[in-house]
Amino acid sequence: MSLRSTLLIFGLIWIAAITVLHGTLNLEWGKPEAKKEKFAVGFIPVTCHLTCPVTDFINQNMEGESFFKPMRFSGFPELKEMFLSHPDKMPATFILAPLAMSLREQGVPIKMVYLGHRDGTAMMVHKDSNIFKIEDLKGKTIAVPSRFSNQRLLIFKALKDRGMSISDVKLVEMPPPDMPAALSVRAVDAVTSGEPFMAQTEMDGYGRILYLTKDVWPNFISCVLAVHEDAIKNRREEVQALVDGIAKSGKWLDSSMDNRMEAGEVVAKKYYNQNPELLKFVLSKPPDRVKYTNLNLVRKDLEEIEALGKEGGVLKGTVRFEDYADPSFVTDDTQVKPWDYKGKGVQR
Amino acid sequence: MKAKDSILARFGLPLLVAAVLLGVWHFSVVISGTTIFPTPWEVVKGIGELASHGLLVKYIVASLFRVTWGFVLAILVGVPLGLALGWFDRAFMAINPIIQVLRPISPIAWIPVAILWFGTHDAAPVFLIFLASLFPIVVASTAAVRNMQLVYLRAAQNFGLSGIQLFRRVILPATLPQIITGLRIALGIAWLVVVAAEMIATQGGGLGYLIIDARNAGKRYDLVVAGMVMIGLIGLGLDLLMRRLEKFDEVRWGVGQR
Repeated sequence: MSLRSTLLIFGLIWIAAITVLHGTLNLEWGKPEAKKEKFAVGFIPVTCHLTCPVTDFINQNMEGESFFKPMRFSGFPELKEMFLSHPDKMPATFILAPLAMSLREQGVPIKMVYLGHRDGTAMMVHKDSNIFKIEDLKGKTIAVPSRFSNQRLLIFKALKDRGMSISDVKLVEMPPPDMPAALSVRAVDAVTSGEPFMAQTEMDGYGRILYLTKDVWPNFISCVLAVHEDAIKNRREEVQALVDGIAKSGKWLDSSMDNRMEAGEVVAKKYYNQNPELLKFVLSKPPDRVKYTNLNLVRKDLEEIEALGKEGGVLKGTVRFEDYADPSFVTDDTQVKPWDYKGKGVQR
Repeated sequence: MKAKDSILARFGLPLLVAAVLLGVWHFSVVISGTTIFPTPWEVVKGIGELASHGLLVKYIVASLFRVTWGFVLAILVGVPLGLALGWFDRAFMAINPIIQVLRPISPIAWIPVAILWFGTHDAAPVFLIFLASLFPIVVASTAAVRNMQLVYLRAAQNFGLSGIQLFRRVILPATLPQIITGLRIALGIAWLVVVAAEMIATQGGGLGYLIIDARNAGKRYDLVVAGMVMIGLIGLGLDLLMRRLEKFDEVRWGVGQR
């Protein structure tokens, strides 16, 4: 056969075959289309975003189908870019609170409508290190996830409360998944990010907790649920359903340890692709390591983040609570009932 | 070299080198006592785990799909563009500088742009792979025309060939060997950027996605290395396929007898 006919025949067969295979294996071709475009919400596999998959899972189990579509990202930069540029495809996302404020300052029409969690962050040091209290961090190198992370502002606050300043430590930015390895080889002296990356170092036996958020900044918030203003205007019902769903998931998660273990198992396997033992560890040791109740938008809490963000140089201070928050979807927290969902126990 | 020596040399020696490297890897992990970095056997078990969940085939298909479309689009745009740039001096003067500016930009730098333009579905990784493989193809095709021996052209023109005829019967065959070399390099690059390209994939998986995802999964460096090994092996397979193209008569005549 000549080169041209070989290329043509082989090439066409290859393109057709790989396209059809990809379509059937990965893109769910041939499956019946959903009646309506679902409301997509971005998240990354951290426990701060846990109510996202939990709401989806319980919905599927109780209604047969979820009303929204969780979209998983590997990191905040990609999540933020998608959220910024395609409000039609992804109108809502879980996102770092200071980052949401900063985007708002830069004119992006988004608003926080609910919180994602409370607490759920730790500062870890190597178990053999001589760092035992916050004062010992002087002159040390600490890895933080991003300039816009609230974990960085938490360090500001912790140092300030002890009469120190940020110039007493050296901060480096590092993706949280790389932090456990960096701490184990002691490339940095301390690491801090959302869970489960911190618990990983503890489970593997070389990390020691320097502080949990409750020791430094009780009821800490790192991530919020942010929604594009278009969606707030035009897809109100769906946003409300999402906020209600998250509120019920939060109550469900915090109402019993069995529910937490069920969530750890399901989310690790079906959504996060992580070791279930790790998520269960985070959700139970101690049980208030991360909390999912008390998720209303409280002006005072967000203004504290705002002030620290300005001090930390990531916010200009040009936006107020009214600009970046829309609490109209929040109902009275005491009236929220947990999902009436009994965990079936996942097939292990 | 005797026939039996050559078979031994062709397969035995590389296998020996591989075995030595795997041994060095295994014992470095054992001796250093690390609990984080996996041994070769743990990586093999990781690959087995992926295969048993049906993920290995899915991921390989997803990556091959994106590389195929990115690469094919790059050929469809790159070869005609390169030939035109090689043939028309004015076009070369006008367009070559911008190509040389765009060429050194890493696909990773294009990730934000890809998300802004295409979102996070397959179009974005395909675009990144297209970009990465486009420039080597354009440069190789341009150079192929510009380096073509003038004697072919003159001879053809003496026989009265011009226009499409000249292009089909002289220019294309004369430049084909160099273009194929360019395609081979470009395919290598296309496969190389699959990890960067799939950093943004939110559905459909892929071998590059596997590596990013395994980082998020805590201590699953066995899967990270498993992804690397699969990418390496499939890359080797793709290159072997491309090399077969060079055996065709249409390509060989321009290469010179070796």
